[in-house]
Amino acid sequence: MRWLRRLGKKPLVEKRLDSELQFHLEQQIADYIASGMPAEEARRRANLEFGGVERFKEECRETRWENRLELLLHDLQFAVRGLRKNPRFTFAAVLALALGIGASTAIFSVIYNALVAPFPYKDQGRLVTLRVHDLDQRGDGEGDFRGLMSFPELKDYLEQNHVFDGLIANCEIDVVYDAGDNNSYLSANYVTPGTFELYGVAPLLGRGLEAADYQPGATPVFVLRHSTWINQFGADTGVIGKTFRLNGVRRTLVGVMPPRFAWGGANLWMPRDPAVVNVMRGTFPQYWGVVAHLKPGVSLQEAEADLNIIGARIAPNYREDYPTHFHVSAESFVHAVVGQGFRRTLFVLFAAVGLLLLIGCANVASLLLARATTRGREFAVRAALGASRARLVRQLLLESLLLALGGAVVGVLFAWAGILGLSFAMPPFTIPSETVIEMNGWVLLFGTGVAFATVIIFGLFPALQASRVDVQDALRGAGKGIGGTAAKSRLRNAVIVLEVALSIILLFTAGLFMRSFVAIQSVSLGWQPDHLLIGRLPLPSEHYKTGAQLVSFFEPLMRNLKATPGIESASPVSTTPPYGGFGGNIEIPGKTHTGEWESLIQLVGPEYFLIVRQPLVAGHMFTEADVTTARKVAVINQTFQRRFLGEGDPLGRTVNLDVLKKVPDVVTDRSFQVIGVAADAMNVGLERPVEPEVWVPYSVTGSGMRRLLVRTTADPGSMNSTVRKAVWSIDPTVAFAEGEPLAEFLDTFSYAQPRLGFFLVSTFAAIGLLLVTLGVYSVIAYTTSRRTHEIGIRMALGAAPADVLKMVLKTGLALVVPGIAIGILVSFAISRSVVSQLWGVSPYDPLSAVSVVVLLLAIGLLACWIPARRATRVSPVTALHYE
Amino acid sequence: MPTEKNDLHRGTLDMLILKIVAAGPLHGYAIAQRLQQISKDYFQVPQGSLYPALHRLEEREWVDAEWKDTSTGREAKFYKLTAKGKKQLEVEVLGWERLSDAVSLILRTAD
Repeated sequence: MRWLRRLGKKPLVEKRLDSELQFHLEQQIADYIASGMPAEEARRRANLEFGGVERFKEECRETRWENRLELLLHDLQFAVRGLRKNPRFTFAAVLALALGIGASTAIFSVIYNALVAPFPYKDQGRLVTLRVHDLDQRGDGEGDFRGLMSFPELKDYLEQNHVFDGLIANCEIDVVYDAGDNNSYLSANYVTPGTFELYGVAPLLGRGLEAADYQPGATPVFVLRHSTWINQFGADTGVIGKTFRLNGVRRTLVGVMPPRFAWGGANLWMPRDPAVVNVMRGTFPQYWGVVAHLKPGVSLQEAEADLNIIGARIAPNYREDYPTHFHVSAESFVHAVVGQGFRRTLFVLFAAVGLLLLIGCANVASLLLARATTRGREFAVRAALGASRARLVRQLLLESLLLALGGAVVGVLFAWAGILGLSFAMPPFTIPSETVIEMNGWVLLFGTGVAFATVIIFGLFPALQASRVDVQDALRGAGKGIGGTAAKSRLRNAVIVLEVALSIILLFTAGLFMRSFVAIQSVSLGWQPDHLLIGRLPLPSEHYKTGAQLVSFFEPLMRNLKATPGIESASPVSTTPPYGGFGGNIEIPGKTHTGEWESLIQLVGPEYFLIVRQPLVAGHMFTEADVTTARKVAVINQTFQRRFLGEGDPLGRTVNLDVLKKVPDVVTDRSFQVIGVAADAMNVGLERPVEPEVWVPYSVTGSGMRRLLVRTTADPGSMNSTVRKAVWSIDPTVAFAEGEPLAEFLDTFSYAQPRLGFFLVSTFAAIGLLLVTLGVYSVIAYTTSRRTHEIGIRMALGAAPADVLKMVLKTGLALVVPGIAIGILVSFAISRSVVSQLWGVSPYDPLSAVSVVVLLLAIGLLACWIPARRATRVSPVTALHYE
Repeated sequence: MPTEKNDLHRGTLDMLILKIVAAGPLHGYAIAQRLQQISKDYFQVPQGSLYPALHRLEEREWVDAEWKDTSTGREAKFYKLTAKGKKQLEVEVLGWERLSDAVSLILRTAD
């Protein structure tokens, strides 16, 4: 009650209450005296009858609402003081809650922004994209469909469907922007009528593309992406209305879109040129990505039914594009943009942070339970001083709420930092460029709600229990004995076991992620990615149709590059390693087989193997002269030899590259003579086994996309502009596009995602481990300190410190070991679904399991050992006096 | 502590207080005395119940309180019934009569 007095000035109500009760007392005394009692006796008796005046004064006060508010304020002050008195407890509890809330909010925000609402586009949930699935090829769900369409096919779906009220398409096109003194490369998209209307995003400057822009004979125009406008046009508002030379055509810039508009990931958008039937890219007709908006009330199933009717009708017109058995599906656009792998990674991460939140809550629960037991006496004293039960409970609840509030506030800070960090750490191309990751209010609310629920449940239980204590008993004997009632210690133990089990699951998952990451990293490439620069060469199809035309471009280019300081050598390639060329059918004369024989085909220059440092195991590479004359010679890899040629000397054998009859610049004589065998090297990414591959002179056909691979002696990144200038000096209509060190490409596409997953899960597991250590330690330290008295007696009776140590450790292990056992069992039960999105690990990975168990045992022992040591150091005399 | 001696329920006590002050304004001590006298010493309302009850009734506006001088010239807090309190009293008396009729009926007949 001191805090009331400390207020200094009692309010009027308070004074009145005093005088009212005083009046009653005086009347009583007066009555007793009137009935003949001596004054002294009358006073004594009246006082006795009146009883604990403070207590019912308190009750009178509580009936008044204005007082209630004031009391709440006092209780709040009281709660703050209670928390400040025990800073270690407060810190641990707030930290545990904040970590749980922060981490789950951050991860869920990523999930929400990447998977649920990645786009700034209107009604994005009703946008779908079309896919044609080959029913005879049951892939893993990702690889057995075609998501792009030819332009005439696209028109069929547009004109014949009954389920969409909008259907648009885009296709990538390389644009060389000629600024007069230099050229630069821009990635553009041709878009179809209705695109800007469908997305409903207002332009930042100028206008979007309109219906008139698509008409034949309309002035060529384009719209610019925000980041391109900033980076390449200096954010100059004066550029609107100006014309620019793009691929040799003067186009007027009519608008700049706001930052998040990034349809197709392009730098700029142009209306589809009506004069061009087929958009070409590297001499191949370009396919289009389709996005359609469902009519109101039309479901995905209804849309698919309609699409399949159209598909069946038009398939005979596009024999090449439709498999024998196919199904046309309408995929939610939002779902389609993030790859299955990354989607699963995100969900595993979310499960992981969910566990973390649980561990945090369990930790706080055990802290609260332990704390409540030690406060039994405090409650008794306060009950004796007149605090009603409701009042005590309210004070404890307030304390809990303050903890949750603190956890929430710090949690928001953690979430904010986490989201900031995650947006930087997010591997490129895993989420659409439109996506902005921002804090999700709902999940913050949810996490905070869980935190509040935890502290209320685990703060209230002990509070109710404590408030029921018999005042006299508690005052006399509390503070000694074996740590509270059996029920309470059972609850406390269960919470610790749960916490240990959860952290085992988290650690085991982290172990699997780590093993997978290490496995990916230790994949031997079979070639050396350092000091390599790779970039695309979008060759305008009107100038580069034949192999000879290519030679006239590449030969001087490679000669120039070789003579450039810092560059060792260069070669054209079809694809960027570790992806080995385009795939297609092959035949070996004299060999019959069932099923199709397929190989990867790389169109390269004579120094390719020197450049990538891939050794030949037999024969030799083709020469400069072989390229100039487009001789039909080939180098195969060992897998090719094993699978298709079998026993016998491969050199001199003939292979027919049938795939070369399908390219625009058809190769009539498709029989190639094997002149060399290269050692196997990864050629379908890092996660899949080596496929058959064949390397032939790049000049055998004029078709196909070309890239340039450069081996440098200097830092490859620093040679980018040198190579760009060299290309420009040979032909100003060609640009060296998207040049980047190959090591960086590898990092982005192969290592970044597993690394992010591994890093995040490990971070969560480490935090979980920290929390568990804290939890086990606090509970063991607490129970041990409660047993100081008992330990003192034991030691006085002759127990050695080692016995005491053993006793405490046993108590601790009785909690840790069941937790570990449960955790491992649950981990094994669920690890299959975790492993399904990891590469190169078994779901029961013994190394992960063993290390996790050992780690947690060690941590558990350490957490018990510290309080145990402390207990053995206490002298029996002190211990026996200990209270 | 409030209902130790004769189990006087909160609601019952409230009703009795309303009934007592219906006769005219009284201070707390007088209310306790009247309860004791009329019930022939059956109800000895402890102050611990009486004053919270009075404050509760005041908060609900069933009684009105006023500081006035007593006959001895000492200032005391007098409670008097409000219109709202009068209505409440009627409701509670009716309820009580029904309850007690029902209870006595059962006690008399259910053998």
